[in-house]
Amino acid sequence: MLRGFHLQARRGVVALMCFVIGVAAWVLLTGEAKRWQLSVASEAALRRPTGYPQLVSVEPLPMMDGGMCQWVPASTPTRLMAALRQERLSARVATASPADTRAAVAVNRAPVRVIRDPYPTYSAVAVDPIRDEIVLQDENLFQILVYDRLTNTPPTAAMSEPKRVIGGHDTKVEFNCGLYIDPESGDIYSINNDTVDTMVVFSRNARGNVHPDRELHTPHRTYGIAVDEKAQELFLTVQHPPAVAVYRKMAQDDEEPLRILGGPNTQLEDAHGIALDTKNGWMFVGNHGAVAYDQFGEGSSGNPQERRRNLIPGTGRFEPPSITVHPIKASGDEPPLRIIEGSKTQLNWPAQMYVDEEHGELFVANDVGDSILVFRVTDNGNVAPLRVLKGPKTGLKNPTGVSVDTKNQELVVANMGNHTATVYPRTAQGDTAPLRTIRAGPLGKRALAIGNPGAVGYDSKREEILVPN
Amino acid sequence: MAHQQIAAFARLAKAGDTPNRAIAGQATKLSRGMHGIAYDEVHDEIFVGNPFAQAILVFRGAAEGNEAPIRVIQGPHTELWQPDTLEIDLVHDEIVVPGRDGILVFPRAGNGDVAPLRVLRFDEPNWRAYGVAVDPVHNVIVAGASYGPRPQRKTSLLIFDRSDNGNVKPLRIINGRNTGLQGIRQIQVYPKEGWIIVAQITDGNIMEPEGTFVGVWSVHDNGDVPPRWKIEGGKQNTVMKKPRGVVLNPKHKELIVSDMRLNAVLTYYFPEIF
Repeated sequence: MLRGFHLQARRGVVALMCFVIGVAAWVLLTGEAKRWQLSVASEAALRRPTGYPQLVSVEPLPMMDGGMCQWVPASTPTRLMAALRQERLSARVATASPADTRAAVAVNRAPVRVIRDPYPTYSAVAVDPIRDEIVLQDENLFQILVYDRLTNTPPTAAMSEPKRVIGGHDTKVEFNCGLYIDPESGDIYSINNDTVDTMVVFSRNARGNVHPDRELHTPHRTYGIAVDEKAQELFLTVQHPPAVAVYRKMAQDDEEPLRILGGPNTQLEDAHGIALDTKNGWMFVGNHGAVAYDQFGEGSSGNPQERRRNLIPGTGRFEPPSITVHPIKASGDEPPLRIIEGSKTQLNWPAQMYVDEEHGELFVANDVGDSILVFRVTDNGNVAPLRVLKGPKTGLKNPTGVSVDTKNQELVVANMGNHTATVYPRTAQGDTAPLRTIRAGPLGKRALAIGNPGAVGYDSKREEILVPN
Repeated sequence: MAHQQIAAFARLAKAGDTPNRAIAGQATKLSRGMHGIAYDEVHDEIFVGNPFAQAILVFRGAAEGNEAPIRVIQGPHTELWQPDTLEIDLVHDEIVVPGRDGILVFPRAGNGDVAPLRVLRFDEPNWRAYGVAVDPVHNVIVAGASYGPRPQRKTSLLIFDRSDNGNVKPLRIINGRNTGLQGIRQIQVYPKEGWIIVAQITDGNIMEPEGTFVGVWSVHDNGDVPPRWKIEGGKQNTVMKKPRGVVLNPKHKELIVSDMRLNAVLTYYFPEIF
């Protein structure tokens, strides 16, 4: 009986094999299976784990009825408009979400990327020849850095350490762009361009996160600082509406200015650096050229905040960059004595300035010109500078701060574009290499110069993030 | 700021990576106070305001260095006051800019001393728009506005019909305690979903204010409603301290923030809103 069962099973297997062979022959002969299908089936049968994705099956797309849209590049306005109009139609039928009592969902995840310059970016400089120090404003990390005057960072060093650092929340140092050192006391005067709208004053030995010794509430957008020591007067430039506000040197808190220079006749236009020639009684103001006008006139206090509210729509203009020269006691809407302006001047966003009274020279940190321009204090009109310091050997990159050490006959520059302060002979010109360099970042490393980024945009074509200061 | 510029960083830039290019210099006509910027991907152009000279500047998309704008809107007919922010509406080919007491709408390709196509004037005195955004799908303009003197100033999101002209009331106003709104800066709209994305600095005069965030509302929201989502400032893991600018990158589901306290740009993966 067992033998009979085996015989029956063997016959069954043979019959099944005959059936399979017959079906295969029919498929081949009738051509229902294409060669590629057989090939794929064979490959599938032979598929082995590889650790990589493998083709498992191929499903042809179903045939579509009706006409097809013409292909249009994704960047054309036609396609964009059509897509958005279609979305608008969909939106109309969507139910408006009512105001409700839901709670906000806090999505406090870490950013996937952070762009931030980790190194100090020098915006302004002052030399203290009495105490042999160079003081630098760091507008990136909001610090005041004090170095020994003879600091020189070797090319092999990562950076030079400052002798003292003033920085932190209690210092109220933020967007610090202007600097003055009291020659008598060594006090450090720091101008904050935005946000806190306060000038802070520290003693020369201050360090760390310390409160200022003195504060003066300043107009929004204060930029430059100069002091007439003989008259004990403090001069501050306001970028817009452009003005020069003059205070007592020791003014503090909410003390009002002694006088304000501002108005259409002054030809102040996006005022930046300021320098004084007390010997001749002149005040020099650097202007970028953007300006709009307010209802300035009788009854106007000249207060920049008030003038800002009273700007007349549509009065804006672009003027060439200039250095306006005013009487040191000028006030109100008083016109300048003369103006240095024109193509020969090479002015390109003039920043901080310094007057060397002894030699009758005006030094200008010429930001985008990557240069230091030196004019005679008597210059007028479209004049070429007396000297120009510029070129690859100079190491100048976006210089926004300049100071002259008349004791040691040196010129010191704060370069916002490359984390350096560079020191030259006072009379250096052309493509002259610096005598010394104080470097706060890697050699040759360009500064990001992100400063008070008020907005952000996205260039989807180039996949770039646009960051305006 | 000691140095103005528009820096262009690679999307994947991080830490101290330097920008691919920067627009800066006398010819650019840039000033500080650029609190809005818009990229036109159709015409490959960059739009930015100069509030000091009351001008709108348009640059080539690939502009670099001391390059002049290709168009400038400026002059007595423009009514431009302090155009520090702006928005472009590519569907209707318009530029939308906050004005002295309302919102000005210009033709996108406008150049020179052109009058606005429409002027949406607020029906409340002392309203002043800061950030502005356009949703061409839901046909609304969203403005971040403040009313009254500090510190009682009431920050609101005003939602207008896009085609409004003259003295009008908003369709909806989002403000109140639950919103947490105080000190709106740049605004974006994601038209596909109708989201309003807001960067809030709370108080620009405080170095590290509390209550800063990037919040997301719907264009349908109204009244004293909290944001649907928010990334909070002052939290260790968010890094963010004082978010002033915000923009979206829908392709990569990213939300990009500029932070004025950190002098930094933060990119968040934020798939919830896309």
